[in-house]
Amino acid sequence: MSMPAADLQALWLTLRLAALTTLILFIIGVPLAWKLSHWRSRWRHLVEVLITLPLVLPPTVLGFYLLLLFSPNYATGQWLAALWGEPLVFSFTGLVIASVIYSLPFMVQPLLASFSQNGQRLSQAAAALGIPPAIALFKVLLPASKAAIVSACALSFAHTLGEFGVVLMIGGAIPGETQVVSIALFQHVEALQYGAAHRLAIVLLLVTTALLLLARWLGRNPAGAALPQPVAGVPGVPG
Amino acid sequence: MAGQLSATGKAAFTLEAVVAGGLVVEQLVTTLNAAKPWQLALPASGIVGLTGPSGGGKSTLLAALAGQRSCSGVVEFAGRTWQNGRSGIPAHKRDMSLGFQDSRLFSGQTVAQNLALAHRYSRRPLDSGARTQLQADFGIQHLLQSPVEQLSGGEAQRVALLRQLFHNAALQLFDEPLAAVDQALVIRRLLPTLRAFWERHPALVLWTSHNFNEIQLLADRCLWMENAALTGPLRLQDVARRLQFGDFGHTCYSRVEALVVGQQGGMLELSLGGHKLFADRVTGDYARGQSVAFLLESGDISLSLEWPGLSSILNCLPVTLVGRQALDDGRVRLQLRSGTQDFQADISCLSFERLGLHDGGQYFAQFKAGSLAGL
Repeated sequence: MSMPAADLQALWLTLRLAALTTLILFIIGVPLAWKLSHWRSRWRHLVEVLITLPLVLPPTVLGFYLLLLFSPNYATGQWLAALWGEPLVFSFTGLVIASVIYSLPFMVQPLLASFSQNGQRLSQAAAALGIPPAIALFKVLLPASKAAIVSACALSFAHTLGEFGVVLMIGGAIPGETQVVSIALFQHVEALQYGAAHRLAIVLLLVTTALLLLARWLGRNPAGAALPQPVAGVPGVPG
Repeated sequence: MAGQLSATGKAAFTLEAVVAGGLVVEQLVTTLNAAKPWQLALPASGIVGLTGPSGGGKSTLLAALAGQRSCSGVVEFAGRTWQNGRSGIPAHKRDMSLGFQDSRLFSGQTVAQNLALAHRYSRRPLDSGARTQLQADFGIQHLLQSPVEQLSGGEAQRVALLRQLFHNAALQLFDEPLAAVDQALVIRRLLPTLRAFWERHPALVLWTSHNFNEIQLLADRCLWMENAALTGPLRLQDVARRLQFGDFGHTCYSRVEALVVGQQGGMLELSLGGHKLFADRVTGDYARGQSVAFLLESGDISLSLEWPGLSSILNCLPVTLVGRQALDDGRVRLQLRSGTQDFQADISCLSFERLGLHDGGQYFAQFKAGSLAGL
């Protein structure tokens, strides 16, 4: 199965975009989820809703606002362009920023669920053994949330691979810069090149399936169950 | 008699003996006990039991002392103020450890990693010899490389308790730490290990349990929590009396103290008011002259009117019958006294009538060397 150089370039660009996005999301997602898991303010709800928005909004809405934000026709876009040295719109950097925002819920939600359930109990246990909270995050919470971390990273990566609407709005289809696989595929279909479209589609399908299987295997818990489970508790006597 | 009192009064402390440096709790209020503020004064070292009916507020008290539950009042330990009014210092800055009912082992890690973390953040780290010994005494060496997810409930509790000992805090709070562990293992092996450990590494230990046997074998005094009201420290006999009217009807253990005369392997020779006692299957190491406490199960004791002579039953104590209570299952529970020590014996109503026992009568209590539990 040979593939035109342009398609290979799109594939490589997409993988780079997904890897970079996942890395950045992990770095900001862990502290964000940790903070949210024991933030007791009513503002927490607003922040959680904002993080969840990309899940439910049409990607074109997010893309539209990012386009306005990045556009050199307006003050914010000019300021961002000056800060970065080049306009963010129709650039790889702009695409990474958009992807991070777009995939944020896929990173934060699994981590937040894990930190809120098991994390609360384990943070208390760590503090009750003199372990400071910041160290407890790395030495207790993260090892205990391994399954959630693997699943969050895999979902973020896979979700970025399949990005279309946001890229179309702010990136266009510049080969080697912003032309990702989903866009290239769309262009093949428009040009009635079904064979080329098939090849890209099947690669994307296989890569994502393999990725999710790998994530399941990495995230399995040592007791052998497929899903993360809390440590078997002892039926304690309340009192 | 006076000599005997001082011999059996080992490590007993009174409120007057509490000096600066211990645990002081004043007017401590949580949402649970708004109308009944908690007061407490305990010395800097010693083992204190905490018991009472379920839902009484024991866990809440421990959480408030650990700074893991909002409360107001004063908590001071070792001259440092932990809580004053509504503000308190965070849990990890208090020189204490708290064990939870549900073990809370650090998942995603092995047993050895759990223990290593507790050791690493200890303010009084144990040397490696002491740690290896504890692992052996707790019988968890074969589990060290296991992920904690694979442990049974009883194993998880043993590891959690050991993890807390590795941390070796100056104030150690325990919440039902052995509820899921096999009782024979607890009484024969773990409690002697714990007593020896705290003998060598003094700390103030608050041991919460519904199992009064554990408290009788570990502690000198006991706190009582009922309907969010805290009383104590009380003498163990007074707590035993409160419990006898509760659900403790079927088996009854009495705590007896005696002096060590000598030890040969698993066989221990004791003296109770000048009378010799023998205990076998002993797992602890004891020094001559040391005062030890053990438990006698009421069903293990038989009574005779005259000195029974040579028998395979090694122990025979002259006793006075000081009280009795008919149980509703064909037995009578007798209160026996030897010197200053009281203990209970259950015999059938039939034996009671045949022997013609009466209050104030002098008899001989027999029990096997294996009946002395917890040594």
